[in-house]
Amino acid sequence: MERWKTIGRLLLDFMEFGLFTFGGGWSIVAQMQKRYVEEKKILTQEELLDLTSVGRSLPGTMITNVAMLFGYRIAGFWGGVVCVVGMIVPPMAVLSLITLFYYAVRHNPWVMAAMTGVRCAVVPIIGSTLVGMVKGAFRWQPCIAVLAVSFCLYLFWNVNCVWLVVIGAVSGLAISKYMEGKGAETP
Amino acid sequence: MILLQLLWSFTKIGFTSFGGLSMIPVISNEMQVNHWMTAEEVSDIVAIAEMTPGPVGLNCATFAGMRTAGLPGAIVSNLGVLMPTLTICAVVAIFFQRFRNSPVMRRVMVGVRPACVGMVAGVTVSLSETSYILNDSISLPGIGIGILSLVLLLKFKVSIPKVIGLSALLGLICFGIF
Repeated sequence: MERWKTIGRLLLDFMEFGLFTFGGGWSIVAQMQKRYVEEKKILTQEELLDLTSVGRSLPGTMITNVAMLFGYRIAGFWGGVVCVVGMIVPPMAVLSLITLFYYAVRHNPWVMAAMTGVRCAVVPIIGSTLVGMVKGAFRWQPCIAVLAVSFCLYLFWNVNCVWLVVIGAVSGLAISKYMEGKGAETP
Repeated sequence: MILLQLLWSFTKIGFTSFGGLSMIPVISNEMQVNHWMTAEEVSDIVAIAEMTPGPVGLNCATFAGMRTAGLPGAIVSNLGVLMPTLTICAVVAIFFQRFRNSPVMRRVMVGVRPACVGMVAGVTVSLSETSYILNDSISLPGIGIGILSLVLLLKFKVSIPKVIGLSALLGLICFGIF
């Protein structure tokens, strides 16, 4: 019974997230941070970063992968499925409507104006998660270098996120080995 | 029959893409080969998909599905894009849950976490370029909306849906009326 209650709650949460994921899906991370890290405290910053990086490096859509990983974590396989379904139903409904009125919406100046406004809010929404994430990301000082390298590779050379995660994984092992050699405890 | 074709096409799209914009060339090709959309429609739908909630891949699936086979088409196309999530990701979820506290995994994550933060920072910067530069000039009202949203989010802890609603309204006023 308790489990089904949790699953119902997940469905409602993810339907809300789904309705407000603008900007290619990264804002899902912002919404999960606000709801689960800050308000409900059932997820730490580190764990959110882990889910994001694993979800991003698997094939398919990042946000449904993240939803699957999180849902599985909370309530098993069906928890994952429910999060995925919740996540995709609202966008599907919105877009089905738009498709019906495609020619009316396509070049409508009012719709365009409102959506240009929304796009301006997406950057601060995603950016605001960085503040919290930075706290969870730095076990040791060399981690700052990993951040800088991954940022530059992504922005200037368009390196695929899968490679960034692989580079991160290798440097994680190297940094841990080095720090443990200097007497730091195992992470 | 058309439903099976849609399912197969979008399953291919799902498995060959790693999220976001990398899906677009694959989608574009698949849509034109099957004569489901013209090149112009694909670029229209990408623009619409970026403006409506939800990821581009799923939105294209809904659009192509609706146009070729109505709501059932939209549902099977979405299912196709979701295949990797429901298979590969579900399996990874099991293993990740089991091994996330192993010493090796914890060491790996020491590096993966900052790499992920770097990625998010990169996304933020590249999104800024497309959001605040309109017609080759910096959009001052756009930056105003951005700063206001940031203050509301960080200082006043306003919820994300409210911030999005407000910025749509401000967008309507700034870009629609003036």
